[in-house]
Amino acid sequence: MVVRSVDLRSDTVTRPTDAMREAMASAEVDDDILGYDPTARHLEEEMAKMMGKEAALFVPSGTMANLICVMVHCEVRGSEVILGDNSHIHVYENGGISTIGGVHPKTIKNEEDGTMDLEAIEAAIRDPKGSTFYPSTRLICLENTHANSGGRCLSAEYTDSVGEIAKRHGLKLHIDGARLFNASIALGVPVNRLVEAADSVSVCLSKGLGAPVGTVIVGSSGFIEKAKRLRKTLGGGMRQIGVLCAAALVALQENLPKLQFDHKKAKLLAEGLNQMKGIRINVAAVETNMIFMDMEDGSRLTAEKLRKCLTECGILVLPGNSPRIRMVVHHQITTSDVHYTLSCLQQAVQMIQEPSLN
Amino acid sequence: MVTPVIRTVDLRSDTVTKPTESMRSAMANAEVDDDVLGSDPTAVLLEREVAEIAGKEAAMFVPSGTMGNLISVLVHCDERGSEVILGDDSHIHIYENGGVSSLGGVHPRTVKNEEDGTMEISSIEAAMRSPKGDLHYPVTKLICLENTQANCGGKCLPIEYIDKVGELAKKHGLKLHIDGARIFNASVALGVPVKRIVQAADSVSICLSKGIGAPVGSVIVGSKSFITKARWLRKTLGGGMRQIGVLCAAALVALRDNVAKLDDDHKKAKILAEGLNRIERLRVNVAAVETNIIYVDLPKDPKFGAEDACKSLEVLGVLVIPQTTFRIRIVLHHQISDSDLEYALSCFEKLFSSVPEEKV
Repeated sequence: MVVRSVDLRSDTVTRPTDAMREAMASAEVDDDILGYDPTARHLEEEMAKMMGKEAALFVPSGTMANLICVMVHCEVRGSEVILGDNSHIHVYENGGISTIGGVHPKTIKNEEDGTMDLEAIEAAIRDPKGSTFYPSTRLICLENTHANSGGRCLSAEYTDSVGEIAKRHGLKLHIDGARLFNASIALGVPVNRLVEAADSVSVCLSKGLGAPVGTVIVGSSGFIEKAKRLRKTLGGGMRQIGVLCAAALVALQENLPKLQFDHKKAKLLAEGLNQMKGIRINVAAVETNMIFMDMEDGSRLTAEKLRKCLTECGILVLPGNSPRIRMVVHHQITTSDVHYTLSCLQQAVQMIQEPSLN
Repeated sequence: MVTPVIRTVDLRSDTVTKPTESMRSAMANAEVDDDVLGSDPTAVLLEREVAEIAGKEAAMFVPSGTMGNLISVLVHCDERGSEVILGDDSHIHIYENGGVSSLGGVHPRTVKNEEDGTMEISSIEAAMRSPKGDLHYPVTKLICLENTQANCGGKCLPIEYIDKVGELAKKHGLKLHIDGARIFNASVALGVPVKRIVQAADSVSICLSKGIGAPVGSVIVGSKSFITKARWLRKTLGGGMRQIGVLCAAALVALRDNVAKLDDDHKKAKILAEGLNRIERLRVNVAAVETNIIYVDLPKDPKFGAEDACKSLEVLGVLVIPQTTFRIRIVLHHQISDSDLEYALSCFEKLFSSVPEEKV
């Protein structure tokens, strides 16, 4: 019997708050294609200002945001983009930059901390002038926070270094900043400083900030103009989007300050889990709101068994065959939910490891 | 001197419709969930309802009609080297940034749109190609129709015609997609249920944000397997959104409250068309006004074309769109009142009743 539901699958599961619902209901709207939606414009102006860029554009999803950015930077046929082998764009966006955009990816190994080795990036840059077999590298992509590394933060210094490489070789730099605010809060560095070196950034509103839908792209005015046309072509041109943008404005106002508590809860959860026999978590690597849980060999614990136990307790994690279990904390997970999760897992771990006692 | 605008009558498109009070209330109270990790319950309700209305197995919400058509064409033409037959004046071909080609790698083969929005059946058949026939050819996979046909003036395709095109498609192993952005207008104008109109189609894209007035979105309908592929492609294009119940709730209200009102839009269009046609210097083919779109032909005065006319009308608060050099497009919707209609007509009269030299 499920007593309660604790959804740790992702920070995308956040539901609109009452304040957001009210804002959506009373939003000032207009046709954002024939002209512009006033609430969307307000959101876009605010985001551009926050990020220290000239302009911004609301899009339905982070996937579309990254797709647009890569395609606009790589609008010449025969382009190549350098990105992490464990980056969201490369792993979880259906290969769209190639299948839809015709852009070729050149992956570099993502280190444990989410970065790519600077020398490796430079060595990967290619030019047909160098060899007639080569495509033309136009873009480097970074991801901050880096999800598959466990929500790790890229520092402003590292980002600047990559920016320098890009400039030196006439390339652009795009940051997949889906969880950029998490990085900013965790590092104590303002977002505009973090992305100073970037030509474009995609920032999610529907993750930790908790808006129901959407992401914003920021960049130069010229870049955003091209992005807007491509958004239309992809089918992301929506009409009275003020409804969604109103919720996003509330999210920025109310939930941005709460991200630090998500990080604290994640740390609490990680420390508690790490103390359990057979479970191993690199607690020091839990920098933001994401935890990867590993099971020790010879402990009788497997991801499959633990997923089953979690489900029975009403705790949701992503299904699948991965030997690691990922947990993502968000503002609709309470400290009590964290303690509940710990006690459920404690029981499960004991039961699996010492079945004779039950 | 700038004339103070007393009111605004927005006749640019039926996309300008703003959410009603009941829509706003529905949006605020919508039950939602993550539609990518699982499914949003309100989206599921909407999709089920639209699938039933269209008489198809399944449906999927998408951010726009452009994405609805793009996905449909790309799923039907998922083989490299595909070709799609469509009207030379169709929305997909003219107003969707050529996305089927630039993004989807599909080649278009256009057939002339007749005045009534149809394409000659024999021309469609003649346009079909296969590499088996000639090594130079791509392979035709799909025929697209548009109902109502916008550029032809919101014309309704006859049901028998759609059925015939469907038979033709089947005979040659092709699929049939209907861009049904304004399918509800066709249904109300003809007095025929949507599901009968689109019976022959393998897929249809239906707009929620036009005449029926929802703030955002379209729905694609088709077989279960088609929609499964469509869902994956929607994600790839970046149309996978999270708590979309907010938008779907408004759409459900639109379906409940605003479909029947389309008849009023058609009546208003007729009244306005007749009134405009009575202005000596203007010409409107009133008989051709079947739904909510009107084309007004201006005198061919190079000093005062459609663009100039639209600017002058804007000063008076009437918003319309220049369709061609001497043609203006007007679109009616449920947020245009009878008094708005009279005002718009009076503005046209003001602008065009005077002789050229006396124009402001």
